[in-house]
Amino acid sequence: MKNRALARSTAVGLAALSLGAAMAAGLPVVGTPVPQDGIGDMREALDRAGLLRSRDELPHEFYFTRAIYTSNGGYWGRGTWAIDYPKADQQFVFGLRRLTNVDAYQGDNAVTLTDPELLRYPFLYALEVGYMNMRPEEVEALRRYLMAGGFLFIDDFWGSFEWRNFEMEIRRVLPDHEIVDLTLDHPVFHTFYDIDYIEQVPSVRIVNGGPTYEQDGYVPYVRGIFDDDGRLLVLINWNTDLGDAWEWVDNPFYPLQYSNYAYQLAVNAILYSMSH
Amino acid sequence: MGFESLFEFFFKYKPFVFERGDFVFAATPASFAAAALLVAVAVPIVRQYRQVQGNSTPRHRLALMIVRAAVVALGCVVLLRPSLVVATAVPQQNFVGVLVDDSRSMQIADGGVTTRAEQVSNWLNPENAELIGQLEERFRLRLFSFSDVARRLDDAAELRFSGLRTDVAGALEAGRQELGGLPLSGLVLLSDGADNDSESLTETLNALRQADVPVFAVGVGEETFARDIEVSRVEAPRDVMQNAAVGADVVIRQRGFEGETVQLYVEDGGRIVSTMDVELPRSGDSTVVRARFVADEAGPRIVTFRIDVAEGEVVCQNNALETLVTVRDEQARILYFEGEPRHEVGFIRRALHDDRNIALATLVRSAPNKFQSLIVDPDERFGGEHELFGGFPKTREELYRYSAVVLGSVEADYFTRDQLQMIDDFVSQRGGGLLALGGRRSFAEGGYAGTPVAETLPVVLDPPAAEAWHSELQVAPTLFGRTHPVTQFGETSAASAERWETMPPLLAVNRVTRAKPGAAILLEGTSETLTDPQVMLAYQRYGAGKSIALTAADTWQWQMHYDMPLDDMTHENFWRQMLRWLVADVAGQVRAQLDRDRFAAGETVTVQVDVFDDTYLAVNDADVAATVAGPDGREEILDLAWTVDVDGRYEASFTAAAEGFYQVDVTAVGRDADLGSDVVTGQAAELTQEFFGAEMNRELLARVAEESGGRFYTAANVDELPGDITFTEGGTTVTEVLDLWDMPLFFFLFVGLVGSEWTVRKLRRLA
Repeated sequence: MKNRALARSTAVGLAALSLGAAMAAGLPVVGTPVPQDGIGDMREALDRAGLLRSRDELPHEFYFTRAIYTSNGGYWGRGTWAIDYPKADQQFVFGLRRLTNVDAYQGDNAVTLTDPELLRYPFLYALEVGYMNMRPEEVEALRRYLMAGGFLFIDDFWGSFEWRNFEMEIRRVLPDHEIVDLTLDHPVFHTFYDIDYIEQVPSVRIVNGGPTYEQDGYVPYVRGIFDDDGRLLVLINWNTDLGDAWEWVDNPFYPLQYSNYAYQLAVNAILYSMSH
Repeated sequence: MGFESLFEFFFKYKPFVFERGDFVFAATPASFAAAALLVAVAVPIVRQYRQVQGNSTPRHRLALMIVRAAVVALGCVVLLRPSLVVATAVPQQNFVGVLVDDSRSMQIADGGVTTRAEQVSNWLNPENAELIGQLEERFRLRLFSFSDVARRLDDAAELRFSGLRTDVAGALEAGRQELGGLPLSGLVLLSDGADNDSESLTETLNALRQADVPVFAVGVGEETFARDIEVSRVEAPRDVMQNAAVGADVVIRQRGFEGETVQLYVEDGGRIVSTMDVELPRSGDSTVVRARFVADEAGPRIVTFRIDVAEGEVVCQNNALETLVTVRDEQARILYFEGEPRHEVGFIRRALHDDRNIALATLVRSAPNKFQSLIVDPDERFGGEHELFGGFPKTREELYRYSAVVLGSVEADYFTRDQLQMIDDFVSQRGGGLLALGGRRSFAEGGYAGTPVAETLPVVLDPPAAEAWHSELQVAPTLFGRTHPVTQFGETSAASAERWETMPPLLAVNRVTRAKPGAAILLEGTSETLTDPQVMLAYQRYGAGKSIALTAADTWQWQMHYDMPLDDMTHENFWRQMLRWLVADVAGQVRAQLDRDRFAAGETVTVQVDVFDDTYLAVNDADVAATVAGPDGREEILDLAWTVDVDGRYEASFTAAAEGFYQVDVTAVGRDADLGSDVVTGQAAELTQEFFGAEMNRELLARVAEESGGRFYTAANVDELPGDITFTEGGTTVTEVLDLWDMPLFFFLFVGLVGSEWTVRKLRRLA
């Protein structure tokens, strides 16, 4: 399947390359480490650090919104929510704007789960949820968000250990909803691009010859949680790391096929969430 | 003492006689001689006055001369024998038609005990010297009863007072024609005047006047009821989609209950579906209230608007009014074209998720040359799974299949000029609905100014600002919007207003401040920085269709906003009702209707069908047939014929034999293809309209009498009618000269003049 993908030269690939070059040319890519002085203060801390740029005057239709959640552990003093942040988000939005008609805000938009503002952004991205450890109010806020019409896109967690943690967390949010494997005939695989396989997107370690998997996550899955009306609430990308593929699309050693897939699936998911 | 009595006291005869007669001096040669003698005597008298001096001044003498001359003149007038020449009917040589109102409204007991019917029956009793007895002495009478039709009666005992309609004009016309060949002195009309079926009263009155047939109308009943509440009229849509919120304008009239508050109940088949408090207007005035209910059961529904009967009401039957509403469990297909991916698409589609009556075929331009087609309930007539694969329709045939079009954030330049004209024609000619949503590529910002679509829209497209404008606006309904089915967010207007105050603000990116003349604004948006309110929701009728502008760009906030409770259904209900409203009244290629929805058993009902081809041009050569299914299960096939006078219109009639629902299924086949079908329902029922507007209609009866040359009476002076009708020019008459010289007025004038002369002379000591 991967060979087939490699053989395909799509417009997405070209676009991804071009935007990668653009990013490498001048756009800010790495944020200053922010001290983790409590999750409730994270937004404020980010603002202080200048990582959240002020928005344009005219509101946009779409904000690629990253969930700030409480977790066990993290990197450089930040929780796991901030992995690849903000470069991955910015680079993905760059591609989204180039490839589609979506009036997307060209920037990052990290919001805590308990922030009422979150309900202004019906699409939410969360990653590294294998270490997620939400406080009760976050659980309640996320449940409200999903029930009110929000869509949660999960990415970048690996292996059975992390799955168990995520499953436990999401059960706290949606205790009565089943997690199901999405088959390739689901509309989310065909909303904009026709995706006919599920790719395991490796982290940036692939450029150093690392494997595509991490821990015991050898097989990638795309799973979903639906509400009672059949609406897809949560799209779960397990054993795969789309965020790295966006973040390192400007790295000539990062295989294009993974970035292609990462862009395609995320674009599909966004257009699907906006229309369903 | 009334004017007429006073007049008769002084002038000997009633004004009516003076109106009918010609004034003449019936003087003989002797009269002239006497008058000349009088003048001759007067001359020396005047000369004598000139010579009198005494205590008088010239002014006094002049006054005395004038008075004396007036006395002389009066004497001359009397001697010249003033008279009235009138035509009077020859006794027993003429006919009089007596038309008696036999409708149900005659059962009303205005006075509390005696009904109008009893009063009329009393007048018609041959032993009654007040009316019928006197008439019979002078005329040959022909008795008629009338309600919706008039018929000859042999005996007043045949009156039933059970007619379901009152057609005064029809009755007069029937009486005139029936007695047309006879010497007819006039028609006597005994009625409360509560006419509800006349169509050509003016023509009838003209005909009566030309035929010299005066109508002597007798008003039966009270002109104003002491205490009564009436649900006078209901304006409700005939056809609605299932689960649509229906707004009905209810006109309520009352007497004697000023300022009181009553409850208006809306009942669907006996089940109360809505209630509302109504403060009654001033006595005699009407008030219009907007009742709102949800039509949740499919099929023909009898919806009753009712107010409980209050103590002391004269008429109880007029407290409830029924109307037939056909609730259609059909699916309307709406084309929603969005020029860019927007959250609004997903939220609107979700709001309609389990709504089987609205199928939203959505086309989203996801990339400059790429479309996302979202088809609900694929329909082969629309291409099945391939619906909208070719993008926005390029032909009228393709576009006109939809009932409505929703235009999202898509710029005018996307369309060809012909497509823009097609959208305009879709509304004006096809009769479809157009809903334009706010967005950065909508309205003026989308370049629609000057395009045919700008003509269609209910708002004025001012040039967009140099810099992009946007504002978060608090939305509130206008006075009209408070009671509109789409924007009333509660059972009552007050509850709705309260709900609106807590609704989250919406974003607008198109500055729209003006609605077109003739358009109605339902919602306005305000903020602290805006000087003029933003038009958020407006609509207008445009040609055969309807266009709506919703300038908000993110109504999904009403679903997702932090302030909205999770179980709140405002967003869902808003969109469901909005789209139902959008397609309400949107008809297909075959449009059937009955000349009236409710009728009495035995009446003839006309089915009227308009037939169009797929570009909505009238078709005159179609085969149009209707199957009428009656309440007894029997079916009747009707072949409808083109009416010739209207393109594409076909008609046929059937008789409703029994009470119950009549379903009429109409199909039309053109030269090349089926043109479509339609279903319409009517109900044969016992009608109660006789009890509405049932106060004695003096205005109508007086007009009938005056314009025909007759006279209007009430129970108080009906005894004058037999005498008055004698002075008629119709029938066999003789000319009579009525002396006026002996009328009391002359005597009083004579006494007055002589007395004043005497008084002056006495005061001045002249004699």
